[in-house]
Amino acid sequence: MDDTSDFDRESLLLKPVAAYFRRKSFRWQEEELPFYAHRVDLYGFSRVSGRTVAVELKLHKWQRAFAQVILYQLCADYVYIAMPANSIGRVDIDLLKTHGIGLLSIGNGGRCRQILGSEQSTVVCDNYKDIYVNILTKGEEYKW
Amino acid sequence: MVDPKVIIRMGSHAEKDYIEKTARYLDGIIVGANLFEATPGATATLLGKRLNKPYYIDPMTYAYGRNLDLIKSPQGKTRELDFKRSYKNLSEKLSQPFTSALRKNSRVTPKDFEGGLKTEKCCQAVMEYQLNRIKEKFDEDPEYKEYASDIPNPAAIYAPYFYIEPNNHDAWLDLVLLLAGVSAGLKYDVPVHAIICTDQPMLDYPNFLSKLKSELPRTGVEGVWFWFSDFDELTSDVERLKAFRSLVEDVSKEIKVYNLHGGYFSLSLCKYGLSGVSHGVGYGEQKSVVPVVGAATPTVRYHLPDFHKRLGVPAIQRCFDSLGIKTPDDFHEKICGCVVCKGVVSKDLAEFRLFGDMAYSTPISKRLAQTPAAAKRCRFHFLMNRIRERDELKEKNVEGILAELDAVEEKWSGQVSVKDDMTHLSRWRQALA
Repeated sequence: MDDTSDFDRESLLLKPVAAYFRRKSFRWQEEELPFYAHRVDLYGFSRVSGRTVAVELKLHKWQRAFAQVILYQLCADYVYIAMPANSIGRVDIDLLKTHGIGLLSIGNGGRCRQILGSEQSTVVCDNYKDIYVNILTKGEEYKW
Repeated sequence: MVDPKVIIRMGSHAEKDYIEKTARYLDGIIVGANLFEATPGATATLLGKRLNKPYYIDPMTYAYGRNLDLIKSPQGKTRELDFKRSYKNLSEKLSQPFTSALRKNSRVTPKDFEGGLKTEKCCQAVMEYQLNRIKEKFDEDPEYKEYASDIPNPAAIYAPYFYIEPNNHDAWLDLVLLLAGVSAGLKYDVPVHAIICTDQPMLDYPNFLSKLKSELPRTGVEGVWFWFSDFDELTSDVERLKAFRSLVEDVSKEIKVYNLHGGYFSLSLCKYGLSGVSHGVGYGEQKSVVPVVGAATPTVRYHLPDFHKRLGVPAIQRCFDSLGIKTPDDFHEKICGCVVCKGVVSKDLAEFRLFGDMAYSTPISKRLAQTPAAAKRCRFHFLMNRIRERDELKEKNVEGILAELDAVEEKWSGQVSVKDDMTHLSRWRQALA
């Protein structure tokens, strides 16, 4: 079993997760993108597929991550919760599966493993997505 | 069964626009005497002339019986901590024991009222303040002087009141009841009401509630306004909701009962005798006796009519697809068809985001904040809905209210983004049944 001592802060999860999604072609990335009262920990855009991904990093409280990513399905094609490997056991995988939410496990040393793939969001709104894609690719300011 | 009144509490003059534009639908306006003293001219003109609505002036006497630091702020060039000008001016108008409390920097306590004469003088000063303050202000102004005699009286005047501290509730309650009784005995032409201000856990004390039920009507006041500090209808457990309902039900058999800071649950207690509810224009359906100082401006969220509660825009928008909301017409039918919503969500469903519009308030801001325009939309939408809720309640019986709560639970069940925001519906149902 992995030890979470490598990840005593959520921000430490960011680097391996960002690298993982870069490898998956989501090369345009931004951290802490605001979405109403929330901040998307990592938002990525793949020019190859034209799809976007929103990731919520959490050390333990997966239910809080769930409440956030369910909203991020409005602004991203795919959504993921990323957690340290030894916290994954507490997650209700069936619930995530029902709602099309992906789950990433980050082991010691930063190795990311997809436990559950995200499904294409059925509620994504183009107006939100376009704003974020323009922020990422054109450096536009955040403006609705 | 009573037709419930919605009385809007004006928290600042920045809210004037909301009140003026919705005034014709409202049943009354209430202002705190501290606001009056901070802006006497503007408040007198608004209440005495512009609105032409029943009005109430909350004398705010409880503030002098609390920790006096709560009514201090940095003053003058030295920014030294001193009493706020509004409370200082108010104390001078209300005279004893309020002036000496500030002079001695020592709060008012029940001991200050030992001796009957002082009590009567205090009640007289507090009530005459409410009766005459607007007229007095008009009299001072040559331009308005001629209107002074036409100023209507307040809809009711309040007896002096204090926060009934839970750890010494007998002494404080006895004082508040004494002040109510003396005030009622002064026989003004205007109805005299009492305010019972205490902490929400007092709803758990049957002896305290019994005493209120039996003693309040005996004071001779025509009405009472309850203020259970921090009593939040949306989060309160069933037992407290039931205790509040029972209190309303019993006391209203003899005198009028209002909730000083309430929401839809209180309003629906009109079926059990509640005469009305007051609250602010954007929030304020519950209030703490401890004032909020230095907090960031809260986001005004969208009042979801089905829940009678404010929620974030994305949590609601996330449900559109599964609720079958695809067009603005669907939205108006299934979420809200008020005039504000018809104006905002007119061409495209995505326009719903305008209720939660965010922007950086300054070029150096690091955090997004709700735009003033979005906050304004939410406030007007809330007020239009509150008026509709009041009107619909006039036509409904308890069974109708319960059936509506059931239908809402069924409609929204399975919506994960709002499931934690609808738990109050079943508690309300149990408390109202």
